[in-house]
Amino acid sequence: MQKILPQNRFKRLLREVYKARYIYLILLPGLIFYITFMYVPMSGIIIAFKKYNARLGIFGSQWIGFQNYDFMFRDSNFYNALWNTFVISFGRILFQFPAPILMALLFNELRMPRYKRVLQTIYTFPHFLSWVMISGILINFLGDTGALNAMITAMGGQKQGFLSNSSLFRVLLFITDIWKSAGWSSIIYMAAISAISIEQYEAARLDGASRPQMIWYITLPSIKSTIMVMLLLQVGNVMNAGFDQIFNISNPAVRSATDILDTYIYRITFEGATDFGFSTAVGLFKSVINFAMLVTFDCISKAVGERGLFY
Amino acid sequence: MKIKSRLNRFTAMDWISFGVLTVWGLCILYPFYNALLVSLVPQTVYVRSPFMLYPPEITLDSYKYMLDGNRVFNGYKNTLFIMLFGLPYNMIITVLTAYGLSRKSFPGKKFFVLLFYFTMFFSGGLIPLYLTMKNLGLTNTIWSVILLMGCDTFYLILTRTYFETLPESLMESARLDGCSELRILGQIVIPLSMPIIATILLFYAVARWNEWFYAMLFIRDGDKIPLQVVLRNIVFQEYATVATSANVDRGNAFNDGIKMAAIMLTMAPIMVFYPFLQKHFVKGMLIGAVKD
Repeated sequence: MQKILPQNRFKRLLREVYKARYIYLILLPGLIFYITFMYVPMSGIIIAFKKYNARLGIFGSQWIGFQNYDFMFRDSNFYNALWNTFVISFGRILFQFPAPILMALLFNELRMPRYKRVLQTIYTFPHFLSWVMISGILINFLGDTGALNAMITAMGGQKQGFLSNSSLFRVLLFITDIWKSAGWSSIIYMAAISAISIEQYEAARLDGASRPQMIWYITLPSIKSTIMVMLLLQVGNVMNAGFDQIFNISNPAVRSATDILDTYIYRITFEGATDFGFSTAVGLFKSVINFAMLVTFDCISKAVGERGLFY
Repeated sequence: MKIKSRLNRFTAMDWISFGVLTVWGLCILYPFYNALLVSLVPQTVYVRSPFMLYPPEITLDSYKYMLDGNRVFNGYKNTLFIMLFGLPYNMIITVLTAYGLSRKSFPGKKFFVLLFYFTMFFSGGLIPLYLTMKNLGLTNTIWSVILLMGCDTFYLILTRTYFETLPESLMESARLDGCSELRILGQIVIPLSMPIIATILLFYAVARWNEWFYAMLFIRDGDKIPLQVVLRNIVFQEYATVATSANVDRGNAFNDGIKMAAIMLTMAPIMVFYPFLQKHFVKGMLIGAVKD
């Protein structure tokens, strides 16, 4: 074996870099994009530790250490938003997470292929609409003078303040999100189910297994790893409790029950007296915890022998 | 024979799956249908009962009112402008970057992969982004939205994963024939990757069509805002002020009808195209999901 001298190694690296010059050229547009719109904003995070002054700019403003965080930890609205973020996120895991799995199992049992395709088109459609459109429809539908209340009163029931009752509203958040996106999420489980070999079912049938038994002993165990990855992904994302939905469908009457970190940050940034340093500090707090959660659950996912959460 | 007859019988399980899925399907459909009806009936019918199975009377006044003013029209124009420039920009950045990252090995590959993927885990947050856009002079221009949404890291990963499944020998032999990387990408990789490219283009198109948040943040002028923000302004407008412009005759149109008409007009393209494109969306989702 020939010993490689340091300068030779350097030369070799240069040669490889030169050989790959077109790859760098190809990466350049993406690099410019990511640096301009992701990393330059990231550097602006330092104003979390500054008293932001528009005249002095991001770098000229005065450092104030952790003063913004002192302020944050004394703000009761912050605690309320943090609490709601956790409550709503865990509610989503508890109530929303099983919905697409259940749908996939039911779809798998449905033996009418053409009808199945029609239903699937309906189920996945709302996923492709923005929460602006969905909220517009649902607010009209669920409002005090909306169709659902008219239906309820026509059947002799009592009018419900779906949009103004705080305890109902959180449940409404779960239901409307299932309504919008569970059908789409179920596709991943259906793909996992379709990968199960048909022979397993045949063998079970010959042994006299009933269909519920086959679901319990064959289908569910076979898609366990898919369920696992999806669950870890959702747990890793607890800091994101659903800004798009809540921002569009919530209203001031139920704010105390639905104000999450993201809506809180939006509010302190763009409504009323704004202190950019303070809102950035809150945003950074959220990003850091979110980052830690994602990395942790990504590692857990890999440790139990699954793929990472994103790739 | 016995087994076959058992297979064809409609059992309890069939009834359950059929029943539950049908009921939930109706639950999904009905609010859309009801919104359509609200946009089509005159106020008198709506006030009597907003719950309808069919429209007792039909009027197009809500639509006429919405289309007489220039708000929706302007929104359409701006959204189409964003898509016209935004989608090619999306595709160029995503495909180029994905191809670069899918090359077998080159100095610094790990660094680049980390640089791009890290953004999925961490972001600077709202205010630093806002200040950056301001410093770039992009606020209150339509370019803010076009440029900012250049590449979705998730779609970047999907595309890269797909490129990595292509046989390397093909590109290697082209390289030996003296093909440049750009020509390999353009004449070998892209033609072989049409499924993923079509899917990503569709996903980007939907994202562009539905984008409202950044547009709401960065664009102030009413004549520059895209359709979703126009819709948001209409839907969340307080009573009696739903106006396209001051002097349009409202006729039979009423607030809720107008709002629903605006939603229908915004939803229409997706509603028309989705049933035909559904399988492409599903395929794309599965390319990413069943990687290993």
